Amino acid sequence: MIKRSDKLVKKLAIVVYWAIMIILLGLFFSNDFGLVDIRKTSIIVAVGVDVEDGEVQVTAQLAVPQPSENGEGIQYTQVQGSGFTVADALNEINAKTGYYPKLLFCKLILIGEDCQKEELFKVLSCFYRRNYSELTALVAMCEGKASDMLAKTASLKSETTEAIRQVLSDELKKSANVSSVNLKDIAESGFSVSKACYMPYIEANKQGTSESGGGDAIGGDSQSGGGSSGGSSGESSGGGGGQGGSGGSGGGQSGGGSGSGGDEPLEFTARRTAIFSDGKFKGILDETQSFALDILVNEIRLAVLPFNYEDTDYTLGLKNTDGGVKLKVKDGKPTLTVSFKAKAQVQGAKVDITPKEVSQDDVVPTEVLKTAEKAVEERFENLLKTCRETDCDILEIKNLLHKYNYKYYDAFKDDILTRMEVKYEIEIESMN
Amino acid sequence: MKLCTRQICFILLAYTAVSRMILYPTLLSAACGRDLLFPALIDFFVQGVIIWAVAFLCSKTDKTLFELLEGALGNIVARIVYGLFAAFFFLTAIIPLFEQKLYVHAIFYDTIPSLLVFVPFFFFSVYAGTKGFKNIGRSADICLPVFILAMLFIFVMALVEVKWDNFLPILKTPIKKVFGGSLSTLYRFSEPCWLLMFMGHFKYKKWDAAKITLSYAGGAVITLFMLFVFYGIYGELAMSRQFAISKISLFFPAIELLGRIDLIALYILEIAMLFALVLNIQLTVHCVKKCTGYTDKNVISFIVNAALLIILVVCDSKFHSIHTVYEKWMWIVFVIFANVMPLLAWALPRRKKR
Amino acid sequence: MVTLEKNIKGVKDVLTSQDIIVFEFNSLSGKKFAAIYADGLADKQLLGELVVKPLRDAKEDIKLDDVKLLLASPEVKDGTKIKDAIKEVSDGNAVLFVDGEKDFFIIGLKNPPGRTPAEPPTQIVIKGPREGFTEDIKTNLGLVRKRVKSENMQVKMLKTGKRSDTAVAMVYIDGVCEKGLPEKIEKQIAKNEIDLIPDSSYISQFISKKPRSLFKRNGTTEKPDIFCAKICEGRVGLIVDGSPIALTVPYMLVEDMQAAEDYYALSYRSTVLRIIRVMSLIVGMLLPALYISAQLFKIQLIPFQLLLKIASSISGLPLSPSVEMFFTLFVLEVLNEASIRMPKYVGLALSVVGALVLGDTAVKAGIISSPAIIIIALSAICLYTTPDLVETTTTLRWIFLIIAGSIGPFGIVVFICFLICYLVTEQSYGVPLMCPFAPLVKNDLYDSMVKANSYTLKKRPESLNVRDKVRLKQK
Repeated sequence: MIKRSDKLVKKLAIVVYWAIMIILLGLFFSNDFGLVDIRKTSIIVAVGVDVEDGEVQVTAQLAVPQPSENGEGIQYTQVQGSGFTVADALNEINAKTGYYPKLLFCKLILIGEDCQKEELFKVLSCFYRRNYSELTALVAMCEGKASDMLAKTASLKSETTEAIRQVLSDELKKSANVSSVNLKDIAESGFSVSKACYMPYIEANKQGTSESGGGDAIGGDSQSGGGSSGGSSGESSGGGGGQGGSGGSGGGQSGGGSGSGGDEPLEFTARRTAIFSDGKFKGILDETQSFALDILVNEIRLAVLPFNYEDTDYTLGLKNTDGGVKLKVKDGKPTLTVSFKAKAQVQGAKVDITPKEVSQDDVVPTEVLKTAEKAVEERFENLLKTCRETDCDILEIKNLLHKYNYKYYDAFKDDILTRMEVKYEIEIESMN
Repeated sequence: MKLCTRQICFILLAYTAVSRMILYPTLLSAACGRDLLFPALIDFFVQGVIIWAVAFLCSKTDKTLFELLEGALGNIVARIVYGLFAAFFFLTAIIPLFEQKLYVHAIFYDTIPSLLVFVPFFFFSVYAGTKGFKNIGRSADICLPVFILAMLFIFVMALVEVKWDNFLPILKTPIKKVFGGSLSTLYRFSEPCWLLMFMGHFKYKKWDAAKITLSYAGGAVITLFMLFVFYGIYGELAMSRQFAISKISLFFPAIELLGRIDLIALYILEIAMLFALVLNIQLTVHCVKKCTGYTDKNVISFIVNAALLIILVVCDSKFHSIHTVYEKWMWIVFVIFANVMPLLAWALPRRKKR
Repeated sequence: MVTLEKNIKGVKDVLTSQDIIVFEFNSLSGKKFAAIYADGLADKQLLGELVVKPLRDAKEDIKLDDVKLLLASPEVKDGTKIKDAIKEVSDGNAVLFVDGEKDFFIIGLKNPPGRTPAEPPTQIVIKGPREGFTEDIKTNLGLVRKRVKSENMQVKMLKTGKRSDTAVAMVYIDGVCEKGLPEKIEKQIAKNEIDLIPDSSYISQFISKKPRSLFKRNGTTEKPDIFCAKICEGRVGLIVDGSPIALTVPYMLVEDMQAAEDYYALSYRSTVLRIIRVMSLIVGMLLPALYISAQLFKIQLIPFQLLLKIASSISGLPLSPSVEMFFTLFVLEVLNEASIRMPKYVGLALSVVGALVLGDTAVKAGIISSPAIIIIALSAICLYTTPDLVETTTTLRWIFLIIAGSIGPFGIVVFICFLICYLVTEQSYGVPLMCPFAPLVKNDLYDSMVKANSYTLKKRPESLNVRDKVRLKQK
């Protein structure tokens, strides 16, 4: 009896085996599984999001493979779609192109200025959905419309997306030139008790100038929101001389709206920072404030600090930096300690020098260092002032209160930014 | 002997950890937030004690549970108990099966594919179901190094992004919530029953109880470390990040350059995951065989897997409802089978075989 | 009184073939003799020198016992039955009949055409012995005996093949190899009755308990040094007459990851090479499958820049990714097959046609893409790092490819699980195929993925259940 059933099982196994083989071969050669394979996919490398009259406009920069023997034939093209949500707009792109838009390789999300009126997470929510895109995608706000920004011609890279990503790169972040963030960083700080987040603000300038290349950029004052950028623009244009042509973009940008980018090659900068609180746009930090933010929240390898000492412009290179904020509550009084330590060397100074002085650029005079410390402190003060004025906790002070001083959280959570006392511990030492 | 102590240790070490890497961290994050380690710690501690009790029981007898039951209460009762265990292992397999299906759809395919792509698992499961304890043990011998290699790779990639202060302020979650989290995830703890089934199938040597319990503790430590890394990376976002293990290594800097190399480690880890999943099915088949006395495992395995496939197809869109039932009520069943039953086994008279 | 003619007739009635030569001659005293042998198999020169010459020179009437004394051959046996005479003649030996005598002599003159031991083409080494087995069983046994002079080395001669009556030498070290193992193998061989055993691969199937399996159950080697090393480890070796490939059992999969040179080179280098072999094996089997599953199901598996290149290469191809890979692999298999079968002088033309016409032109014509060719070429190279497993691995590569193109990466993982589940319980004469990994045998791990120094390998493999466990004793 057992042998008979064994035989039956064996026969059945053979039938099943052949059935599986036939099914697999059928699937293999038919090549239609209802799935989206590489040929039906459009690889989205960047997405621009604009909001106009409540309608979301998505501009997707697509990599379109061209037949090529050596695999060099990639063309980039832009396709626009609109809808109630980003997903809706992407669906329109799918309908227009016939290719399924995959955001898995999308490494850049640009938000147009119009989105300032919208709740940030309403705009970005689509990107947080399960498996829709990676949380590693960089996010930035740009002057004018995101679609226009993506359409501009870059001077240094062949692709605009590449050029923008270059100015948001980790290397620039480590030199305190940009406060680049990805989707995860934004959500992390945006959903924390501080409810504040920031992202770089991208500007396009004509080569070698600080003149805006965008046709749709609105005035600098209207962008700044918090009112701080205007005031500091002059300072930045004066001090930024040591850092090349892009140094003064903050000041020059206010005259935007004049020239159209067209096919003229443009340079992109992201040295200003857009800030948000509770999902709402709160303003744009100028370069000095952004610098202060960068050296406090990021790991910096080498930051460049321009300042003036006794009518001489100095540019110090700051290495081995260690910056951060700490909150302590003592006797019911919250104190924020803003600390920053660095080793400095002279990178440039508008003074006549001898060969001997050049060889001693690691030795910075104490008075110069003191002035540098003061310059950094001013930047911190400026940053904190904007935070208070806009009630935007981008330094995540509420988080510090919640994490390290939990018992005072309920008491101070609503007014910690104004109630706290601020102490600066800035120590810049000469490299040698 | 079909198994050896080393293989049981490997099973407890690898399968304990690997079966809690998909939704478990997300669920605990949702239940207890930054204090997610504590409910897990409570569950692992309780189960660890039970594991030790069962391992110690193994030192007192070389009989299988079936033989013990048969000797004390008769063949019929032994069969009934095994029938109940079969039902228990069957129930235990359901949620991990759904989880695995969702996980496979997410990490193996770019766009949501049809349910059909998960069907090949059942071919493997039918085949594995026909195999006995020897196969289970030897598969564990292969799975442990596979698991360790893959986990090392993933953890090394993940550690760069962990933020230690995501766990602050610590222990501020109400204790009721912590215990609630512990109870609602108890349906994932069936390890004491695995050991109960292995009883009598391996030769107990001195210190084996300690080795087995320590292996389970090792599995628990890896799981806790996984929870720590996951929450350390995502913080408040953790509760919205499903398929934890596939999300933690995304921020490794080399991924930008090399692409999703973590996927290769995840695919390797999937091997251990599938063997861990199939273990409950193999034990179901074993219990059904003992209960019915029907010796043809091919048929039993086919029927068990067919039943699971039907549940999977019919309830494809009802996973959340099923999950809610498990969260709310299944802890009672798990307490009875995984905790009370092993302790009751101590009451059975146990004489060594001649 | 039995006449010489009657004896000759007895043999010729059965061996009617014309290449069975009957050489009749007389001694000086007039005594008649007849030597019967198979032309081409027996050594005629030796027959003349060792048998015919001494007998011809005999001046006196000699009796049967004196004949044996006169014969100069070292291998002379007595025979009584015509059946035996027929068997020996067929085997290549000569039979000497003496007029008036029923009994006869069997003279070992077997010298079938063969080649001298040369370096085997499948197991070339840079460092180490270059001798290889030939098709002659006696030469092969000599090569073994040359290396293992132990009195415990046993050679048991078996006969198999209903019509070929092929000799099979079972070689083992008594006191080392598992008790009862040679008997088990002998029994397994005896179970099968077949006309002809042209090669050891037939015996390989007979001794396997699951001959339909994709995985072999015995080791193979063409090198006497490896053969000797394996029998000294406690295995049983089988040398089949007519085949240069010797078999060893029990077998573990890890054996095919080990090359002869591993034991002659520095152990660190050997370890690296073994890891490379294992990785190559995995890459060779899975690369084409992973490539098409990435294209069809999970493009994230491909780094972005590479993805752009691939997307560009395949853009506009008439074939789908899976069919393209199927076609490319098919061409590789055809080229492989043709290059083995084709006469050597046509080989160059084949290389040109294969590499240039099919490869380069097909890419230029946009029929297949360059990445597909690279993937297949890499896969082919990788698989030949373990040549003994190539039959299995190339078949598995096809299976993985079909699964990848139809189910995708999850199918690949499920099939790997299936293979593990299957392999962990498979055995070769009681030794699990996956040893020393499953079940884990700690001591044997030192000669598995890693190759430890000879001083570390003091014990014989535990997995083989050997009787004498110690391999190296230091004084």
